[in-house]
Amino acid sequence: MPLLRMREATFVAGEAFAGPMTLDVEFGERAALHFASAREAAIVARLAAAVVKASDGCVLVGDYDPHVQSVACKRIAALVPHEPFPLTESEFARYVEYRAELWNLEPRRARADAAELRRQLTGMHEALAYPLIGALIGGPKLLVLDRPQPVYAQQILTAAGQCAVLSTHDNAASARAFAPKALHFLKVIES
Amino acid sequence: MTGRIAIAVLRARLYAQRRVVFYASVAAFVAGFVQPEGLAAPLFLCSLLGITTALAQSPGLHPHLDSCEQSAPLFGRHLARAKALVPCVAATLAVGLYAVAQALRVMPHVPTTFVVALGAVLAATLTALSATIRRGASRVLYIALAAGVAVAAYALVAKAHSLVAELLVCAIVAFLALRQYGEALGRYDPI
Repeated sequence: MPLLRMREATFVAGEAFAGPMTLDVEFGERAALHFASAREAAIVARLAAAVVKASDGCVLVGDYDPHVQSVACKRIAALVPHEPFPLTESEFARYVEYRAELWNLEPRRARADAAELRRQLTGMHEALAYPLIGALIGGPKLLVLDRPQPVYAQQILTAAGQCAVLSTHDNAASARAFAPKALHFLKVIES
Repeated sequence: MTGRIAIAVLRARLYAQRRVVFYASVAAFVAGFVQPEGLAAPLFLCSLLGITTALAQSPGLHPHLDSCEQSAPLFGRHLARAKALVPCVAATLAVGLYAVAQALRVMPHVPTTFVVALGAVLAATLTALSATIRRGASRVLYIALAAGVAVAAYALVAKAHSLVAELLVCAIVAFLALRQYGEALGRYDPI
């Protein structure tokens, strides 16, 4: 059973449009998707993370339909938005606590996990690391990256560990950075 | 679970919007001190402050909080109730400080003014919340509706001399506005 299943998934809202997308992502698998526009990449990332719902077609996250079981979907998939979070040290601590509350995590454990992830992501710009750390402290099975920075690909994939990773990109070089031959189970899907 | 989330959202958002809340409170206190007589000033000024703090919940002003809430495993109605608490607390603070200023000027009927203004302000604030997830004409319509609620509440008290009718209408409007906001937030696609 795939962790993420998309069948002719389409999103339409005003001028925003994406799809149709057909895709399977298995447990532990890593997929990088290349799109013609940044907006389409952003929409597909949000579809995969159940933040937005498909207008047509089908999206299943771990066998759950975001239209009726979005809470279950969001426990499985975590979105890392493209936009950096320019937070101070104390604001980041508050952010971690906030995420812990919303995800019903033990705050002390969340703080410890965040500190460990920061250590792993040493050298990565804080504003880019914070959203990734926030997404990973909830223990997702699927990490969805919206146009991540290719220069940090290795660090991001290492931090993700056994978690399945789906990244969306608006250029092919960036997508390839998340699918190097040295790592297994990687693929670049051109839409 | 819901109470814990509500407190977390309240703390996070009040901290992020502490300046807006502070300025609104100061404005209400100063206005109460300068213009302690009558019902129009507390009702309309505090409604305006309530609408302003409601609009401060619009997506984009605090991207890290928005991103966190949009991808959190919460039902739309739970998130709506938690987010609605924020401008309601800010507006209640403004009405309370107005009443304190009135009391310092030794004005009569301070508790009655407080109750009447609070009912109208909360109804207007909750109505304005629906504008935060809409754009264009529908956004303007909800803001106009919020202003209309304040005007109707004032008319019921000042012209029809019916305190009970004002509180009843405000309670019904507030209930419907909160339900509407919850349903809209559940369907909202943050693109």
